[in-house]
Amino acid sequence: MKTFPCMRALFILAVLKLALGCSISLGNDLIQFNRDVRPILSNNCFQCHGPDEQHREAELRLDGQEGIEAAFGSAGLAESEGWKRIISSDSDLQMPPPESHKELSTTEINILKRWIEQGGRWQDHWSFVAPQRPTIPQTSLDKWVINPIDAFVANRMESRGLSPSPPAERARWLRRVTFDLTGLPPTVEQIDDFLNDRSMDAYERVVDRLLESDHFGERMALAWMDAARFGDTSVYHADGPRDMWPWRDWVIRAYNNNLPFDRFTIEQIAGDLLPDSTIDQKVAAGFNRNHGTTDEGGAIAEEYRVEYIVDRVKTTSTVWMGLTMECAQCHDHKYDPISQQEYYQFFAFFNQSTDKGMQTRNGNAEPRIDVFDPLNRFKQRAVQRQLESVKSEREAHLTTIGSDFQNWLQQRSREVDARPRAPDDFLARFTLDHESGKQVDNEVIGSPGGRVEGEPKWIVGKLNQAFRCDDKTYLNLGKLADFERTDAFSYGAWLYAGDKVNGAPIARMDDGNSHRGFDLYWYDGHVSVHLVHQWPENAIKVTTTEKFVKDKWQHVMVSYDGSSLAKGITIFVNGENQPVEINHDKLQSSIRTDKPLLVGRRQPGSPFGGAVDDIRVYGRKLETSEVRAIRDFDPVFPLLRIAADERTEDQVAQIREYYLKHHDAVAIRLAKRIDELIQEEKKLAAPVSTVMTMQDAAQPRMTYVLNRGSYDAPQKDQPVQPGVLQALPPIPDDVPANRLGLAKWLVSGEHPLTARVAVNRYWSLFFGEGVVGTLGDFGSQGDWPTHPALLDWLADEFVASGWDVKYLIRQIVTSATYRQSSRATVEARSLDPENRWFGRGPRFRLQGEFIRDNALAASGLLVSQIGGPSTKPYQPDGLWNEVSLSGNVRFKQDQGGKLYRRSMYIYWKRSSPMPVMTIFDAPTREKCVMRRSRTNTPLQALVTMNGPQFVEAARKLADRSIREAKDSTAEQITYGYRLATGCRPTADTLSVLLQAYEDELAVFNDSPERAEQLLAIGDSKRNPTIALPRHAAMTMVMSLILNLDETLTRG
Amino acid sequence: MNPIEQYQLQLTRRSLLANGSRALGAAALASLSQGSSLPAAGSVGGALGAPHFAPRAKSVIYLFFSGGPSHIDMFDFKPAIRKVHGTELPDSIRNGQRITGMTSGQKSFPCVAPMFQFKRYGDHGTYVSELLPHVGGIADEIAIVKSVNTEAINHDPAITYINTGTQQVGKPSMGAWVSYGLGSPNANLPSYLVMISKGRGQSQALYSRLWGSGFLPSKHQGVKLRKGKDPVLYLRNPEGIDSGMRRRMLDRLSKINADHYREFGDPETEARIAQYEMAFRMQTSVPDLTDLSDEPEHLFDLYGADSRKPGSFARNCMIARRLVERGVPFIQLFHRGWDQHGNLPNLIRKQCEDVDQPAAALVRDLKQRGLLNQTVVVCGGEFGRTIYSQGKLTENNHGRDHHGRCFTTWLAGGGIRPGIEHGETDDYCYNIVRDPVHIRDLNATILHQLGVDHNRLTFRYQGLDQRLTGVEPARVVSALLS
Repeated sequence: MKTFPCMRALFILAVLKLALGCSISLGNDLIQFNRDVRPILSNNCFQCHGPDEQHREAELRLDGQEGIEAAFGSAGLAESEGWKRIISSDSDLQMPPPESHKELSTTEINILKRWIEQGGRWQDHWSFVAPQRPTIPQTSLDKWVINPIDAFVANRMESRGLSPSPPAERARWLRRVTFDLTGLPPTVEQIDDFLNDRSMDAYERVVDRLLESDHFGERMALAWMDAARFGDTSVYHADGPRDMWPWRDWVIRAYNNNLPFDRFTIEQIAGDLLPDSTIDQKVAAGFNRNHGTTDEGGAIAEEYRVEYIVDRVKTTSTVWMGLTMECAQCHDHKYDPISQQEYYQFFAFFNQSTDKGMQTRNGNAEPRIDVFDPLNRFKQRAVQRQLESVKSEREAHLTTIGSDFQNWLQQRSREVDARPRAPDDFLARFTLDHESGKQVDNEVIGSPGGRVEGEPKWIVGKLNQAFRCDDKTYLNLGKLADFERTDAFSYGAWLYAGDKVNGAPIARMDDGNSHRGFDLYWYDGHVSVHLVHQWPENAIKVTTTEKFVKDKWQHVMVSYDGSSLAKGITIFVNGENQPVEINHDKLQSSIRTDKPLLVGRRQPGSPFGGAVDDIRVYGRKLETSEVRAIRDFDPVFPLLRIAADERTEDQVAQIREYYLKHHDAVAIRLAKRIDELIQEEKKLAAPVSTVMTMQDAAQPRMTYVLNRGSYDAPQKDQPVQPGVLQALPPIPDDVPANRLGLAKWLVSGEHPLTARVAVNRYWSLFFGEGVVGTLGDFGSQGDWPTHPALLDWLADEFVASGWDVKYLIRQIVTSATYRQSSRATVEARSLDPENRWFGRGPRFRLQGEFIRDNALAASGLLVSQIGGPSTKPYQPDGLWNEVSLSGNVRFKQDQGGKLYRRSMYIYWKRSSPMPVMTIFDAPTREKCVMRRSRTNTPLQALVTMNGPQFVEAARKLADRSIREAKDSTAEQITYGYRLATGCRPTADTLSVLLQAYEDELAVFNDSPERAEQLLAIGDSKRNPTIALPRHAAMTMVMSLILNLDETLTRG
Repeated sequence: MNPIEQYQLQLTRRSLLANGSRALGAAALASLSQGSSLPAAGSVGGALGAPHFAPRAKSVIYLFFSGGPSHIDMFDFKPAIRKVHGTELPDSIRNGQRITGMTSGQKSFPCVAPMFQFKRYGDHGTYVSELLPHVGGIADEIAIVKSVNTEAINHDPAITYINTGTQQVGKPSMGAWVSYGLGSPNANLPSYLVMISKGRGQSQALYSRLWGSGFLPSKHQGVKLRKGKDPVLYLRNPEGIDSGMRRRMLDRLSKINADHYREFGDPETEARIAQYEMAFRMQTSVPDLTDLSDEPEHLFDLYGADSRKPGSFARNCMIARRLVERGVPFIQLFHRGWDQHGNLPNLIRKQCEDVDQPAAALVRDLKQRGLLNQTVVVCGGEFGRTIYSQGKLTENNHGRDHHGRCFTTWLAGGGIRPGIEHGETDDYCYNIVRDPVHIRDLNATILHQLGVDHNRLTFRYQGLDQRLTGVEPARVVSALLS
């Protein structure tokens, strides 16, 4: 046995050499500088012989034609100084030098050798040269070709001796394309429809349907969220909450409305700078506010302000240009033509924003804007229509009330006439009924009014309108009620005690002078009266023994007889003479003060938190009957007392209003409805959230090169203006030198990178890999495109189509390349293990969000509402507070439907993101990520086997299968299998699953309590009509199905 | 040849490649690492195939004290410091260095000598605070580095810096680098495990990025080991499902997946079968690991009373030793609560009470078992604290702000020179006067003990061959090595 592995190893080595030879074989191709040589030079030489001036050795640049010719010449190996250095064993001459830790492999040396032999020719870096529309190549596979994409792919396959795979089975293709375009599985009906649709354009019609689905926007937004480093928290330090979900909603809508990519780009980067920018465009500009922000107490604000700009430069250059500009923050770029100076020119575009270095741990930091729910706008219009209709109903009703009103008027006039009248010899009276500003009127004609201190709040009162007091708001009624202790006087009002109730509703009292004066005081429901010369030794205080409730109108009146004795004070509440406790009864000196009469506080303390209405002051003692008449007073009484033939039209109209308000049941109902609708409309018109946006300062901020990239080392002798890279086309003349100009430059159509990077990113969504593998690096360290002509054709087609995203995607997913089966024969896999030549259909594990969404959709639990705030589904306890600042931020799980929203809406706390997602490779989104890793780990198995979301989904999938496929257990299992995988189980698989069902059914029949435990997992209700053991056994089968490779993989 | 056999062959080929990668050259390695989906957990080999040179240690236990433990009150003592107590920090010492926004507005910077006694320990008579008698007791086993330094002065950037090599977010943690580079010899446990305990003082925030994988494949992220019934998230079978039922399910799952593999020939399918099996093994191996009922009484006595409390630092120290026994290469404990801006004398006493005995016990326990010579124990925080008082200095109370110019970390075992002090600070414990050790140097040294050259453990991301120690120079501190 011992020798066998050795022999086998030798054999393997031989096979391996063959295989390797194939995968990086250059065949007899001409060596291409860009494809073959530049990566070697970039990785091994550019550090000392590249764009970075500071560290350039021997004045030699190998990233330019001149240096290449000097070093490698065109005269062949013997003359090439570069070659001599490469093969030298003298450590002083050898290149790369030993101390660089760089070493050329044999393959690399071979490539260089052949390249030099072939003339050592230079090529400009491919991605900096604008794409030329390539001719669509001829191919012998023209029967296979559906659109030009296939011609390019076929051409490359042919040159490597590969051939395409047969088309995928229809059901598999349908699942593939449905996930790729919506992130969701197809329904059983959709599968059947497609399987039965034998028309020529069946595939195309599926694609069109999916592109029109609102879930398309969700799927595309999810991919964009990684690039845009979207999160619901602020990342640094406390990692506190923020509300950026309206930005996410914007992205969903943009994709669903097929906003052209150039508009998309302009609005994401500079929506706020567009002329007369809309709220929506400002929301879009929130792209540049998604980065992390700090609130750390000790932080130096400028350090972080610079950090935010650095992040924006990095994100913008990576996402739109595939450039690693961040490398030039501290020094010239080592590999690509980006000088440090150019870095700061680019930085200057973003350095104008007004957001601060020190932000917040609690919500959105400025600049931010209010956002409105478009759905609410829609609902608002519906409410307005309803309002109109109720109003006209009311109008119609008013024309019918004539005789009812007259009858009531006559009867009521007689009744009121018979009542005692409220005394009208008041010294002052404030009805507060007609005020809207800061002035208040005294009913005593010729008396001065008062004024509101603070911001007035006029509310519906006991009698028409009332005034609301609080800590800062009260009425100053001036020098009224200047009473001495020997004067008889009375005062009071309607009071409505609110939450902060303890205080003086009415007072003329000087706190600063031992509380001299008088007041009415509300304390814990008790009503007190103070008459004070000097508190407490020379003063009277009486307090009601009874307590009165808050949040209710109470009529309170104080009557005093001028005796300087406690018993001379009577407190009436709601017309009742109250028993009182005498707290102090020793008043011997003056109570007069020059402070004003205030409503809502003393001078200056004891603010009353509540409302007041109909304030009255009398210069005499009032009798009980008079107080009751005041209590019963209604503003309509004086009008009713006027003889019918003396009433003016206006007075009749007032009475009529009163009648409608209080005595006409229909009018009351309609008025109430109108009021409700108005309130509803108001609510719908209110912003649903704010969102952070960009805003440039009015006064431009100077930008300097920062020495070694350090925020505190601006080189004041090196001011820079906003500008773009020399190596790229110039910024158009007709655009402003700001972010808007930058965005327009990116999408001018002349830019060699923007379209290529975008189409490559889209391509990778559907093929798992880009045509350029390094989605975020198109520079000289990045991967060489496997299909340069295809990439250029896609880029050119994209721009020519008007940056039409749906059109581009439609081209990709209707291609024959995309339609291939993902089955790999041994031969195919050995020839192209990574499917770089697209000789078979793309096959890869679903991303974490889709795995969870698939389980939710299959089980029927999915709540497919589009957009809105993030949600908090199941998460193990304690994850937030074990990392949060002071351990005091706890995760509070949502309830009901929010547990079953799509995974892209999961609340993204970036210091502790949802493990169900991160275990499946979701990035923390603290920084821009262009490409997720795709791993295969035991922790993933634990999530899908044991996570409550998946166990619950298995239970509901079992329930659904039993309900919807009634015939037999086999039918039910098949149905569940189709829901989860989009395909039918093979006979073998079905028999394994049936056996699983039978085995577990036996177990659960023996111990139904275990079935009950299993089925209790998850918040949704169990269907009690299914027997426990049967439901549990079927749940186990469905859990197995949800864990199948076929379920987790999109093939 | 049938596909299963072919796949076995591929697996063999991979491990062959992994082990012989240096001979085969970088291009082969690159294509290998892209195509490979070998799990981090359960694999012997990491991206390096083999260490760069003979390792001195197989495992690292990093006791990370989050919040900025005061080097002045714990280790960095000199008699001269008593003389500066109550005096104003001289400009010549502060030397224009930036200080945090929390104290930059203070009018006065009164120096505070530690309000604790220090005793000399070990053959070399090193000073250790009365707060740490047990750690004092292992002075002959540890190397106390008094000259660790960082540029960061606030928690978030500092803790991110020391754990991931830069102050900016987005880079892999040291444990993830080790997992990526070296893999793990234990097929039943993840290669990087993290445990968190809460102290009694002000807890600063932690972030998953501190044990995250950054741009490395996410399988290298640290796996949290938690107290309670699910030491690893979602480890337990749902209620009602026992291990027999799980086994039956997995057998059927494997059968169907194997059929699927036969049809599609996707090696990911085969890998998935293996991952499910490992998950099943973890369901046993992890509870075995965290169930301490097989530990003898005297060991609980050694680690102190807290070791009986799940979730305590002491308990986590015991579990760390068990992880080392199981071959896990990187274990990190985060103990929170070291941020004493005020009320320091009282709060730091409590913090030290919780860690002193267990940390020393861990070193002793490893030594007794012959594991210390193959395990590096590292103990320290993200920065130290200022000599001057934050807030008012009274007779028996004061606070200290953050201080990155110097702080103290100790190391033990795994080829670290025992019984030494390294580096020296001035009389104000403010500036380093001899042998500075930047946190990059510290990280390079830790990697070195595992047989890894920090310059050569790289991953190409965004055009750069990224590494833990970044682009600034870093060096292995040879004076620390035995």
